[in-house]
Formats: sequence, C-alpha cells, structure tokens
Amino acid sequence: MNELERRLQELGGEIAYPATPRFDLAFERRPARAWSLRPLAIGFAVLLAIAAGVLALSPGARSAFLEIFHIRGATVERVETLPDVRAQRVDFGERVSREEAERRVGFELLDLDEEPDAIFVRPDGLASVVYGDPAHPRLVLSQARGAIYDGFIKKTAEQGTIIHEVTVGGEPGLYVDGPLHFVMFVDENGFISDERTYLAGTVLLWNRDELLLRLEGDLTEEEALELAESVE
Amino acid sequence: MVSRPPTEHELVERARGGDAAAFAALVQPHEEIAFRTAFLITRNAAEAEDAAQVGLTKAWRALPRFRRGAPFRPWLLAIVANEARNRRRAEGRREGVALRAAHELPSGDAAPSPEGRALAAEQRAELLAALEQLSEDDRLVLSCRYLLDLGEEETGEVLSLRRGTVKSRTSRALGRLRERLEEAG
Repeated sequence: MNELERRLQELGGEIAYPATPRFDLAFERRPARAWSLRPLAIGFAVLLAIAAGVLALSPGARSAFLEIFHIRGATVERVETLPDVRAQRVDFGERVSREEAERRVGFELLDLDEEPDAIFVRPDGLASVVYGDPAHPRLVLSQARGAIYDGFIKKTAEQGTIIHEVTVGGEPGLYVDGPLHFVMFVDENGFISDERTYLAGTVLLWNRDELLLRLEGDLTEEEALELAESVE
Repeated sequence: MVSRPPTEHELVERARGGDAAAFAALVQPHEEIAFRTAFLITRNAAEAEDAAQVGLTKAWRALPRFRRGAPFRPWLLAIVANEARNRRRAEGRREGVALRAAHELPSGDAAPSPEGRALAAEQRAELLAALEQLSEDDRLVLSCRYLLDLGEEETGEVLSLRRGTVKSRTSRALGRLRERLEEAG
C-alpha cells in the first residue's frame, strides 16, 4: 500500500457519517417452501414472493393480485393499485456499438426492419435497441436471455389497462396497454431494481428461443404484433 | 456448558428456512457498513436510510436464492448498493452533501502538537476536496476500497464490476487523485 492509499484508508476512519439509523428488522416469518417444483416454477414462485415484499414496503399500496400472466422470463400482474414508488426512467445502461453490445450479452442482437439510432447494454445483460432520439425514443426493443433474467414483473392498475395473451412467431407473448406499468427487474442473483417503464405506451413481451424480447412504443396491438413478427 | 453463538452459515440456513430472528441476527453486524455504503452512493442521509431499509427487506425476500456457502456481507451490500444507485438515478445528478471529516483526530499515545493537528487537518481537508473533484465512478471505487475498506472482490460486488475492472479503475482513480492533489499543492 502506498502513501496515498494509506492516507485514504485513514481518512475512512475520520469521515463524519450520519449516525446509522435503527432499521426495522421485524420481518414477517417467511414460510419454508417445499422446493419440489421445476426450475421455471421456482423462479415464478420467488418472483411472486418478491412482489409481495415490495408491495408491503409501500404504505397504502397493499393490493390483491387480481390476475397473473406469465411467459418464460416475465410475469405480468394486474393489481388493484400500483405501488407508491418514485417514478423514474428505465436505465438503458451504457451506449455502445453493436459489436460491443453483442460481446457483452453473448448473443446476436435482433432488430426491427430499420437501422437503430442507438444501442445500450446494462451490466445485468439487458440490451436495448433504440429507435429515434435516445432521450425520447420512438421505439425500444429490449432483449435478454431468459436464463439471465428470472423475470421482470409488470404491475398494472386495474382500470384502463389491457393485458392480452398473444402469439408471436408461434411463441407465447403478452401485450400490455395502459397508462403506467411498474417494472421490477430481477437478475440472476435475485437482486431487484424497481423501475417504471420508459415509455407510457404499449408493451409487447414475447419469447423467441432462449430470449425474452420487449417492444415498447406508442403502438396498437396490431402494429406491435406486426413489428414483432418482423424482428430479425 | 456454554453454548457458542451461531455461525454465519447457521444463521443463513435458519433465515433461509424463514426464521426472521436469525436474519436479524445475520444483518445486524452489517447495518452500519450497509448504511454507509448507501450514503456514499446517494450522498443523502434520508435516501441512504431508505435505500438500506429497502435493501434489507429485499435481501430477506431474496434470501432463498442466496448461494449457499457464499459470504453474506458482499451479497447484502450489493443489494443495498443497487437500491441506493436506483435512488441516485431517480434523483438525477443532483449534488448530494459533500463528505466531511469529523473534527476530532484519532487519539493516540503520541498526541500531536497544536501545529501538528492543524497540519493534519489541512492535509485531510485537501485529500477530501481532491476526492470530491473526481468523477463519480472514480470516487465510488476509491470510497469502497479505502473509505469503507472493502476488498477488491467485495468492491466488485457492490459496484457490479469485475474484479479486474475494480483493480484497473482503482489504479487510474488513484492516479487522477494524485494529480488533483499536486495541482492543489
């Protein structure tokens, strides 16, 4: 350790941190599970448990799950009311070249039938192909390996939100159209980040082979399905 | 016969089975560093408290997925740091409070003279100021490695970086910090 490192280390002991608060550790006892389900079902069950936890954190947002839809890697829940969380934009991650994005995620990125304006990748393996101004995208096609994500969850308010089970290229998908979607990303370590969708329009989620794809934009169901079928 | 306190592994196993008291015993030794980690990221005491509390709750919920045999603290800190980063992003690039040093210097056998104390305080203030001028990436990696005294592996967990990246980023950040100090000097 050199002199500068030593000085920094000493400084660490001299920082005037705010006093550590008393945290509430009175968690409800979690019932032990009989883990006899198949892997996919385990992931699904864990996600539901996590979702319940997040709802429990939001006073006044305790809400029954009215309906649950599931495809590989994603779960969409219809709830009575959205959790009271701070609105924020989805973090697309770092803007990189296509080659760099593909190197990082380990698969060839899929495109709509036009050249994207930007490509982003997050450290957790979610790549986003963006069409239009990256600050105000017209369309976003996000893609991740289903195996990387156990899933991301969308909660939708009961009123005015449409959720349809659809088929894209013979594989299952979900079409969601509503004013607000609350998204939770869950990575392979079970870490969760809560984010609202970047676009307030429609979202189409579908599986293609090992990938989970998500198309967001101001689209009708017919337009979304047509675009999804064109993805190559 | 005196019963020994449960090991971390035993507490993890009990907590995985749903024992909330075991989980509380597991996280209590790490509350302070979890809060400080969140504070160094958010630079806001209230946000740090929220991030740490939510992180602890999420850790409780995610515990069935905790890899058996892995060290618990890096996993917990990574969840708290992730929550803190989300809050930081939500707040945009708003400046948080600047770090400051406590007024008291650590006591020792050889108490420094008033002049020595003044010099030490001045050098400490210069170092803090130089640290604050670094980019967020540089500042965070140095904060984790030296202010929080985390190892390279643990810093990688907290900042979602590979160990090699922690090493190279730390080296570059130290270089930039040294430049800042030389400019100031």
